[in-house]
Parts: sequence; structure tokens; C-alpha cells
Amino acid sequence: MPALPTLQEIVSLAVRIITSRTFLEIVFFPGLLNVTLSAALLTWLERKVIARVQLRIGPLYAGIWGILQPIADGVKLMFKEMIFPELADAKLLMLCALSLMLLAIAPVVAIPFGEGLVIADMDIGLIYVFAALSLFPSVILLIGWGSNSKYSFLGGLRSLFQQVSYEIPMWLSVLGIVMLTGTLNLSEIVKAQQNVWFVVPQAVGFAVFFTAGLAELERIPFDLPEAETELVMGWMTELSGIAFMLGFLAMYTKLYLMSALITALFLGGWLGPSILPGPVWFLLKTFLVCTVMIVIRGAFPRVRVDLLLKAGWTRLLLLAIANIFVTVVLILLGLGWVWRV
Amino acid sequence: MPDVAFVALSVLIIGSAIFALEAKELIYGAVGLAFSLIGVAGLFILLGAEYVAMFQVSVYVGAVVVLILFTIMLVRRESGRIVEEEEPGRLGRMGAFVAGLVALAVAGAMILLVPVSPEAPELHRVLLRDIGVSLASSYSVALVILGLLIGATVIGGLTLAKIDREKRTDGTAQ
Repeated sequence: MPALPTLQEIVSLAVRIITSRTFLEIVFFPGLLNVTLSAALLTWLERKVIARVQLRIGPLYAGIWGILQPIADGVKLMFKEMIFPELADAKLLMLCALSLMLLAIAPVVAIPFGEGLVIADMDIGLIYVFAALSLFPSVILLIGWGSNSKYSFLGGLRSLFQQVSYEIPMWLSVLGIVMLTGTLNLSEIVKAQQNVWFVVPQAVGFAVFFTAGLAELERIPFDLPEAETELVMGWMTELSGIAFMLGFLAMYTKLYLMSALITALFLGGWLGPSILPGPVWFLLKTFLVCTVMIVIRGAFPRVRVDLLLKAGWTRLLLLAIANIFVTVVLILLGLGWVWRV
Repeated sequence: MPDVAFVALSVLIIGSAIFALEAKELIYGAVGLAFSLIGVAGLFILLGAEYVAMFQVSVYVGAVVVLILFTIMLVRRESGRIVEEEEPGRLGRMGAFVAGLVALAVAGAMILLVPVSPEAPELHRVLLRDIGVSLASSYSVALVILGLLIGATVIGGLTLAKIDREKRTDGTAQ
């Protein structure tokens, strides 16, 4: 029977855990604080950029340039009453909203925000991120079902179709990178781009990944699951108060981490001229990708359901497979050494 | 520490499996199954097979559970109606008896055949690269056969879908 630890031991252990690098990483920089703050900032950025695209001004009064608007929104939503329809499954809805947020944050564990600045440097980081992304459709479908509302249910079904069919081209489009580098570790994939970023040899893969990413994020032009002219707010229709805030923030968190993934895979991650430190480059590129996605929202109309599924299954899938063959040719031509780790 | 994790995961797996079987609402059963499968992925991580764990999550929880949910939602019965449990027939009882015997036999064989040692065995991690190399060299035949199987499945699915559509244009299957 081992002796019970004394109070001093417990305190010193707690101090050691709190000051350890992993704990700080989880709580502050690549972890929770970074992700939630960036997601909140993205809601502001989205309003501001969309306003500019439409020749409006956007949020203005809360703080300088209205930058405190997300905080005002958050406080408002937190104090709002949570209203669930009478026949809705309130417990299931709360559970799903919570797990949506958790799933949206999960990929941050494997994404390297700087050299060695990653919570868990996994050998299979890429598969981990995709595994986390593949859990979204079931949760969204459950929200749609649990709301007991036709809008939510149709939104959930649409989301399921869309995410399941765009997941396949997404997985296939990164295979070229995996073949060139011979690793699934995201840090090593970034390091392999020392000479040339993957956006150059994998331009087709990048295009497929970006398009499939937009579809996974349910953003315009692929925002059918929450088409507001048809489905009110899609699967989020019956969420309110904190549950709505969680669902809404989860979608922006997903946007942020998807952009971070694109940065790490195709845009050289933290690599850049040494005038700025690596993490700053990473954040700059990530927010640039986010801004492009937001401008796309301002510029394009929504596509039709049948065209969306057709494009996914016939065009993107073929392009992704063609990209794999082109990569094989690149390797056979002896150009593979440029990106070997 | 692994013991604590093992016990917690076992409680999660068995608890949610029982919940899945006992749930009155079919949807809850699917949710319970999802949690149970996530727990199994956790066991794979404890065994040092992260690769298998990730595919367990993305294939079983991400795809199979979605399929189950989807089927339940398409074949919708009125919510709130409780399924009447039928008394199992003679065949059912015999089936349960045989299944129990087989499970007991497997468990007994595992306990008898695998030597039990008080110390945990040395955990050796297999590199993903090594798995890939052995898949492409010594297990290449199995890989090709799996590919053929999946291809045949896809073609079969497409054929079924096509027959359905042809009927519909004739107006026979309305």
C-alpha cells in the first residue's frame, strides 16, 4: 500500500503540470484560447469583409472598427433564454451542440503552428484530423432529428449528403502530398516544403481540397444545409441561446482550423522569410485563406443540390484521382527528391 | 496509469453497449453504439495502434453509425410508440444458448492458451511506414483481393441504383 501523497506533493505536482509546456500549449497558444479567440475574431472579420464587398460599413460602434462586436454577441447569446420546441429532444440537442464544439476544436491537437509548436506531434496527424472531421455529419444529423422540425431535419440531411460525398475527394486530394513526402506527420509535411510549397506541384490537389473544404464548411457557394431562403437556418434553426452560440462558434472554429490545415498542407505552414517568427507567418497565411473564403461568400451565388452532388462525385473525384497519377509521374521522373524529408 | 484508462474505457464501452441495447428510442441506440465504438478506439490507442484507432473512429463512428442513423430516419416509425417486446421463441432461445456457449468457449480458450503474466508485456509500436511496406510486399495479394472486392461492391451498388431508375422512368415502380 503506497503512502498517501502529502499536501505539499500534490501542490508541487499541480504547479509542475500547470507550468509544463504541454499544458500551456493546450490552454494558450495553439490550443483553446487561440482557437476560440480566432473563431470569435473571424465572425467580426466576416461581417466587416462582407460589408466591404457589398459597399457597407459593417460593425462600427463596439470598440475601434467594431472589433468588440463578437464579445457583445457572445454575452447576448449567453444570457438569452434557451428555447426548445415542445417535442424537441432538449437533452440530445445540448449534448450534440457540446460535442460539435469539442469536435471542431479537436483538430488543433495535430496542427503545427510553428516549429515544434504543436500539442501532439503525431505520426498520423493527417488521419487524426480527418477522423475528427468525419464525425461532424452524424452529430449534425442528430441535431436535425432531435429538433423535431422539418427545416432542421432537411438541413441535417443535406449536410449529411454534402459532407459524406465531399469527404472522399478531400481524402484523395492530399494523397499526392503523402506520396511525395512519405509521411502523414503534419510537421514533417511542412518541413518538406522548404524548397517549393506544395501549392505548386499539387495545384490540382489544392483546388480540389479548397473546394471540398468549402463544402465541408457548408459555406457559400455550398451552404445548402442552411440556405436561409429555403430552410430558415438549416439544422441550426431550433438552437437558441448557448446551444446556438456553441453551434455557430463551432462552424467558425472549423473554418479557422480548415484554413490552418490548408496552410500547413499547401502553403508552407510556418515557413517564410525570417523577418517575422514562424507562428506569425502561420497565422498570417491562415487568416489570408479565411479572408479568401469570406470574399467567396460575398461574390458567389448558391449552387443547386443536384449540381453540388454531381460536381462532387464526377468532377472533383476524377480531378483528385488524376492528381494522384500526375504525382506518380512526377516521382517516376525523379523529381520526388525536392520534397523528401 | 494505463490501468485507470483501461478500466474507464471498459466501463464506457460496456456501459454504452448496454445502453444501446436497452434504449427504447432507436436513435439513442445508435448514439450508444457510437460511444461504444469510440471507446474501442481508445483501447486501440492503449495498445499502441493509433493508426487502427483513427480508422476505427473514421470508418465505424464516422461512416457506419451515420449509415445506421440514416436508415433509422428513413424508416421512421411514429415517435413515442414503444416497441412491444416479444417473448423469444424456441429457436430464439436455442440461438441465444449457442451464442453464449460460443462466447464462453472463445473466452475460455483465450484464457487457457494465452499465458498470463503479472507484468505488462513490452509495448512495441509499429511504424506506419512498416505497415505500408508489408502491405505492399508480403500482403500484396490480400490488398489486391480487397481492392477487387470493393470494386465489385461499388459496381453492384451502381447496378442496383440503375435498375431502380430504369423502372421509375417506365412508371412501373411508382
